[in-house]
Amino acid sequence: MVDGKKSWKAWLYLAPAIVLLLIFTAWPIFNTVRMSLLEGYNAMQASAGVKFNFGFKNFVDVISYGNFLDYLWNTILLCFLTVPISTLLALIIAVCLNAIKPFQRLLQTIFFLPYVTNSIAIGMVFAAMFNMVGNNFGDPNELVITAGIINNVIEFFGGERINWINAGSSYFHNMFVMTVYIVWNALPFKILVLLGGLQSVNKQYYEAAKVDGTSRLRTFTRITVPLLSPMITYVVITGFIGGFKEYSSIVGIFGNNMGPTGDPDRLNTMVGYIYKSLSLQPGRASAAALILFAIIFVVTLLNLYISKKNTHY
Amino acid sequence: MKRKIVSLLLVLAMLATSLLLATSCVGNGPAAGLSEFEFDTSKPVTITFYHTMGESLRAVLDKHIARFNEIYPNITVEHKQVGSYDDVREQIKTEITVGDQPNIAYCYPDHVALYNLALAVQTLDDLIAATNTVTRADGTTEQLGLTADQVDNFIDGYYNEGKQFGDGKMYTLPMSKSTEVLYYNKTFFTEHNLSVPTTWEELKAVCAQIKEIDPNSIPLGYDSESNWFITMCEQLGTPYTSATGSHFLFDNEDNHAFVKEFREWYKAGYVTTQAISGGYTSALFTKNPAEDGNCYMCIGSSAGANHQIPENEDGTFKFEVGIASVPQANKEAPKVISQGPSLCIFKKADAQEVLASWLFVKYLTTTVDFQAEFGMASGYVPVLENVTDNEVYAAELAAANGYESLPLLATKVCLEQANAYYTSPAFNGSSTARDEVGKLMQICLTSTEADVDAMIKKAFKDAVAECKYQAGE
Amino acid sequence: MASKAVTTMNARDMQQVSAKQRVVKGAVQFFLYAFLILMALIIVFPFYFMLISSVKELAEYRQTVQTLWPNKIVLYNYVEAFNTANLGRLFMNTLYVGLVSTILSLVITVLTAFAFARLEFKGKNALFAALLGTMMIPGELFTITNYQTISNFFGLKTLGVQLGSQWLQDVGNWKNTFTVLIVPFLVSIFYIYLLRQNFLQIPNELYLAAKVDGTSDIKYLWKVMIPLALPTLISITILKMMGAWNSYVWPNLVANDEAHRLITNGLRNSFADSTGDVNIPVQMAAVAIVSAPLFLVFIFLRKYIMKGVSRSGIKG
Repeated sequence: MVDGKKSWKAWLYLAPAIVLLLIFTAWPIFNTVRMSLLEGYNAMQASAGVKFNFGFKNFVDVISYGNFLDYLWNTILLCFLTVPISTLLALIIAVCLNAIKPFQRLLQTIFFLPYVTNSIAIGMVFAAMFNMVGNNFGDPNELVITAGIINNVIEFFGGERINWINAGSSYFHNMFVMTVYIVWNALPFKILVLLGGLQSVNKQYYEAAKVDGTSRLRTFTRITVPLLSPMITYVVITGFIGGFKEYSSIVGIFGNNMGPTGDPDRLNTMVGYIYKSLSLQPGRASAAALILFAIIFVVTLLNLYISKKNTHY
Repeated sequence: MKRKIVSLLLVLAMLATSLLLATSCVGNGPAAGLSEFEFDTSKPVTITFYHTMGESLRAVLDKHIARFNEIYPNITVEHKQVGSYDDVREQIKTEITVGDQPNIAYCYPDHVALYNLALAVQTLDDLIAATNTVTRADGTTEQLGLTADQVDNFIDGYYNEGKQFGDGKMYTLPMSKSTEVLYYNKTFFTEHNLSVPTTWEELKAVCAQIKEIDPNSIPLGYDSESNWFITMCEQLGTPYTSATGSHFLFDNEDNHAFVKEFREWYKAGYVTTQAISGGYTSALFTKNPAEDGNCYMCIGSSAGANHQIPENEDGTFKFEVGIASVPQANKEAPKVISQGPSLCIFKKADAQEVLASWLFVKYLTTTVDFQAEFGMASGYVPVLENVTDNEVYAAELAAANGYESLPLLATKVCLEQANAYYTSPAFNGSSTARDEVGKLMQICLTSTEADVDAMIKKAFKDAVAECKYQAGE
Repeated sequence: MASKAVTTMNARDMQQVSAKQRVVKGAVQFFLYAFLILMALIIVFPFYFMLISSVKELAEYRQTVQTLWPNKIVLYNYVEAFNTANLGRLFMNTLYVGLVSTILSLVITVLTAFAFARLEFKGKNALFAALLGTMMIPGELFTITNYQTISNFFGLKTLGVQLGSQWLQDVGNWKNTFTVLIVPFLVSIFYIYLLRQNFLQIPNELYLAAKVDGTSDIKYLWKVMIPLALPTLISITILKMMGAWNSYVWPNLVANDEAHRLITNGLRNSFADSTGDVNIPVQMAAVAIVSAPLFLVFIFLRKYIMKGVSRSGIKG
């Protein structure tokens, strides 16, 4: 089918992209693999002429690291919390937005606002909202000066204030704050895609459902979700890929401590490990990045497999 | 744009055959052969200088580069603010791998240890010792190396910091320094007849007194947990780290003991730290003392004195601030930490570049006027004992008070304790140790575990394990 | 429009439904709005917090009880933020980099997407899958190697040093040029993917008909596909501009001199004081200043972003 001339032309179209990709994507990938296989590799020593042994020590170092499983668990937990929650919430918001007329544009605009922000800066804002100021949290002589705006709201409704992110806070509450923040950040893109999908769905399906007297919930589960399944797959996959690379949002809330006071690195992730190792142990950082890549790859394949089975047109 | 297109085309041609060329071509130039110490004042030479200076400091630097150029018109100094200290380190680290590092950089000791993995830093011993003369543009001459007077004028602790690398060689000259000082609410201390603590026991007693007077206060804010730990090791003479042999020595009974003691201080509500309070404790110190959670004492950087000024919106002051040396374990042998940037020079293939860099570094570190003006603009401590030769500086120092001129008041304290400065050993991994002991303090102070001794033991063990892991041991 | 059809449907239905049903419908609408407004408030709150903090005096910001509305509104934080960084220059640099990289990126993206959507060649699917695969790789890893690449482009700089050719050294060293901010990121797999999806939706019959008429590929691309995919192209433009506006790590590493510094770096550097604590109100003001142009662009061109991005999902 493919005649030579046409094929040649296609490559011409592709040439600029291919050249750039070879230099700025393919070569770095190759170099990463190379560094991951050189034991204790260090670019500084390499430039001074030191030679490194070839082997899998970097991979062994990464996996046998005492906190490796914790970091992996944090990464996975954040993924499996934030992706479903943000997708579901985005779906509900998109459906609601699609069902109203007045103020639809205004509300849409508001929901997209987080899309155009710098995540570290906004992270600081979130941290300030949840942060308590004081000393000796959880001790008998606890001193709380400012409970933070979120706790003010909780107390206003008669609740007990909660130690969200400060010394002595629980893993659960830390994760809660992270989930809120990441979901907040992830919503706009998902709403964008899902609402776009909804607006292009053929209205005849809904009219037919209406004539049949189908309930709203049933319309949602039996018509909306299946029709939207390609977009849902899309946001879930991109969500997982982003989720496994979670890092800057944690810096945004907890700073470089990557955890509450008194329990540093409690919330550290795979990418956090890569950054931590990058400076002194680039070989390990490369190995960890390849491990992370393998995980993301498998999860994406799984996602695609599941969605293939459930995608309806 | 055009030359980039050319380069892209070139690459296309080379791509198939030379994917690996990039690495094989990367490398440092040979170390400067400094057997020749002759600086050629007729040949133009350009040197680059990386730093973290903000605008006001750059103005001082530019002024003095102009003066330097009157002496050596053939040396062009290009300088740039790279960002924070970490940014400088990261930038240079990457540049070294392609042999493209600057000539001079702001540095901390652990940066130098890192750069030295690539053997990129020029040792200064030969340059300091060089006795031949260089002729300046105005016909006068100067000795290439440092004269005995010039060496004497350096504050000893600052000067010796350049030799902390385990091999006895000199790698850096001090640029501008800071240390920790004790800020206290002088008004409050006078009012309640409290005496300024000079030892840790006295400090504990004062904390107890303050807690009785104002139960809703936190008497002491200590900014840096890492400094606290390292200073205690130094003052008590207990092992912390070593630049040679086994690096991480801080897991020992003596250190467990002082950490446990300070945990009790924390639990009694005597103290908070930057990590625990979630920000510099100067914010607690400068609060209105009538509010809850304020500090009456604060141990923080002398370079941060500006942030310790308790100024009201209307320009009046909430109280008068006093500044003193940090408490000691042994008053006979006081130890205070030395911090702040030094300057290091990188090896270059062209010996003239190295000599030009040296002349410029020498100018910055030994010129009284520059040190004085830089000190006034930055709040850092000049590194020269004779900085008061600068009349403006001497006058300002004499007039310093406990209200708006805290930086100078802090500097005064710093200059008075000139014999007490220490620096901890620098090696590749020393910054990891620093970070880890900070985290360790954070954990040990706040932990709510029932078995305190076991908790402390584990925290130390984990910290040492992490240090070793990061160092690849 | 489709929504209009629904309205007319609804209007027709309304005449038949009972009052009770009308109440139910009203209640549903009420809950829809209540939910959406609540969510909107949650979304907006951090921005509100940022804005009120940026007009507070430092003393008020540090008050023990945070005020929900500033006791006294001051604007000097903005003046200070604007003056601390050389914002005019930073804006121009960013605009230049944004525009040039957007234009070049669009050309490359269109050509590549066209090849993947319409042309046939060996290994097409495998190549496309491989490209998508690279999106999964943590970007931090590219940085180390790419920095080496641009500092010494395929050894050209070293070669220049060896041959004593300043010209070769300049060709090999991209640091502190606009090129280094533009070229490494010209190819975005994500945009290629977006546009390819968009191109695929254009019926193949059009292409075949054009072929029969003897229209060249380029002409077809220019006359038919680009106009049809315009919303996507506009979205890509906006996203790319936003990228230039928000990029930090790479520019900070490779082009952090006065002449090439971009806006985020400029602000970061101006506020990265080496000691002391940060003046949060001023910092918030700076963040607000930097965010403002994006917000405006976003609000005015929202339609295109929506159209472009949402279409990408269709055949996902």
